Amino acid sequence: MLLPEKTLEAHDVFAGKLTMDDLETLIDFKTGRQKRIIYSDPDIYQLEMEKIFGRCWLFLAHDCQIGNPGDFIRTFMGEDEVLVVRQKDYSVKAFLNTCTHRGNRLCKADHGNKKSFVCNYHGWGFGSDGKLNGVPLEAEAYYNKLDKSKYGLIEVAQLACYKGLIFATFDKSAPSLEDYLGEMKWYLDIWLDAMPEGTELIGTAMKVELPINWKLPVENVSGDGYHLGWAHAGAMTVSSSSKLTDMEVGNTSVDNSAAVSVAGLNGHAVLAALDGKSGYAFYPDPEIAENYLGKNRENVIDRLGEYRGKNMWGSQINLTVFPNLQMLPGLNWFRVYHPKGPGKLEMWTWAMVDKEMPEGLKSMILNNVSRTFGPAGLFDNDDGDNLQAITEQSRGWRTKQMDIYTNMAIGGEHSRKELPGVVSNGLICEQNQRYIYRRWQEMMRANNWSGIPTYNSLEEARATEAG
Amino acid sequence: MNEASVSKEIYLSLQQLLFREARLLSAERYDDWLDLLSDDVQYEMEMPQRRFREDRTQASAPKKTPIFNDDKRSLLMRIGRIKTGFVWAENPVNAIRHIVSNIEVFDSDKADEFTAYSIIEIHRSRLDAERKRFTAGRNDIWKKTASGFQLLKRTVALDDGVVLDSNINFFF
Ligand code: FES
Ligand SMILES: [Fe+2]
Repeated sequence: MLLPEKTLEAHDVFAGKLTMDDLETLIDFKTGRQKRIIYSDPDIYQLEMEKIFGRCWLFLAHDCQIGNPGDFIRTFMGEDEVLVVRQKDYSVKAFLNTCTHRGNRLCKADHGNKKSFVCNYHGWGFGSDGKLNGVPLEAEAYYNKLDKSKYGLIEVAQLACYKGLIFATFDKSAPSLEDYLGEMKWYLDIWLDAMPEGTELIGTAMKVELPINWKLPVENVSGDGYHLGWAHAGAMTVSSSSKLTDMEVGNTSVDNSAAVSVAGLNGHAVLAALDGKSGYAFYPDPEIAENYLGKNRENVIDRLGEYRGKNMWGSQINLTVFPNLQMLPGLNWFRVYHPKGPGKLEMWTWAMVDKEMPEGLKSMILNNVSRTFGPAGLFDNDDGDNLQAITEQSRGWRTKQMDIYTNMAIGGEHSRKELPGVVSNGLICEQNQRYIYRRWQEMMRANNWSGIPTYNSLEEARATEAG
Repeated sequence: MNEASVSKEIYLSLQQLLFREARLLSAERYDDWLDLLSDDVQYEMEMPQRRFREDRTQASAPKKTPIFNDDKRSLLMRIGRIKTGFVWAENPVNAIRHIVSNIEVFDSDKADEFTAYSIIEIHRSRLDAERKRFTAGRNDIWKKTASGFQLLKRTVALDDGVVLDSNINFFF
């Protein structure tokens, strides 16, 4: 099954201009192979900005971050800086954070509340609705001839909210957010809709700049349970209060029947233990969380049904919304990656909780998120060097011609009546990464959304597989 | 903070102690460092936020997010992780220097407790030519005990709005 790598000549990899044929050779979905050059090549990166970040629905903000009119968040869609602003009528608008006069950055604060945004360069003033309201010396310098209605802030093409999460896309022709998420909604609801009042982010973003290609942390969290027992051996040794799918430090044993990898969800992916409690395996004192789960489980079963309520709510679950949003109920972190060039990204991590959780549990969660996956996180601090090294190991002239592999558990894909999507056994399985790269390739080669397939089951995934 | 500064003797002993602490941390002598910490030590550092000075919502700003919010138990957990020998990022050893400066020491309301302000600059030399640098202000409360000074509380104010290293496997 593992294809031995042929000896490549320099002309076997594309050089310079990227062609459709090149795109075909970068990924092999069936055998689980990627060309290393996808992590370093500037042309590929530019194409990703256009075809992926320029077209996908991207996470902007959680509802709770901009509760009141005038509240704003400064964030990114790809490398484009975006200002997300709560309007007077409580709707949300998102604009490129750039002045339409000479192109200065409009707002420098991370978040806050403003009635209007005044540019620091010449003082043009924009309302929170994006309209250009004030132009200094309008009569003297523009002879009152400037048509201000033509110089408002540039809005995103579409903006929509799914159960508290605000997304936007630069592409007018993108499918609706609901269709884009597809059956992934069924999995997102395990967190977003388990409790009647939904979720909230607590605290502000923990931001880290990493010399890493943006795809690597995404594929890692989407499906790489394999690295847990090894890369995180130190953290697991000191912080585990129980075992996740009987995984042993040092990767000496695991129970792969106790969990699932799920993909084929329009490019989104899920890793999930099925025990209903392992989300709190890496909390030193999980009792308050266990009480909370116990107290609310019946209600959650009412809301989400028997299977999700019993087997999934409270479990360790990794949710990946393609291309750059990941959230882990249980460990309770919520994360978005902003690409900053082929070899750089900014990683923003928050703690997310159910609004109805007791204050004591919320504080415990905030501390635990920061202690496990913050900038000084016991777990997160193990991943940076590995992913940085993979990025760097895709630059050397000879090395970047090599393949790398996600060919674990090929042939294990199956359907389950209780779970949407394509399912494989276990957290230790590379199915999800294969599907992430399949989606990457589908997005990269399609000229428009009608060329991007929709699939939410094994049957559909097979029917839409490129030949 | 009581701005009246302390006797030369107290100042010098705390200054020497902060220098010694920096040397212990740079040398990864964590057991010796732990001896300087009170059993109910609070060790805190927050994620900085960039907000407008005049922001009207300052009072209702989102809850601050800790990078460190540690007590002795969780510090022991962090050190325990490093000591497992499984933290691959720290092998080979990363050279690290803790530079302490601008030390000021003040009396507090309690006779045996002193506040110390200092600036810490941390340099790490990692793989090949990689070099990382952190600067932060520190506000400490040190308690004078029969066996010497012990750290009761340290509040670290990190300068960077985006953390510029992929791990913080060290202490400020
Ligand atoms: S660039 Fe903004 S006012 Fe001129
Ligand atoms: Fe990891």
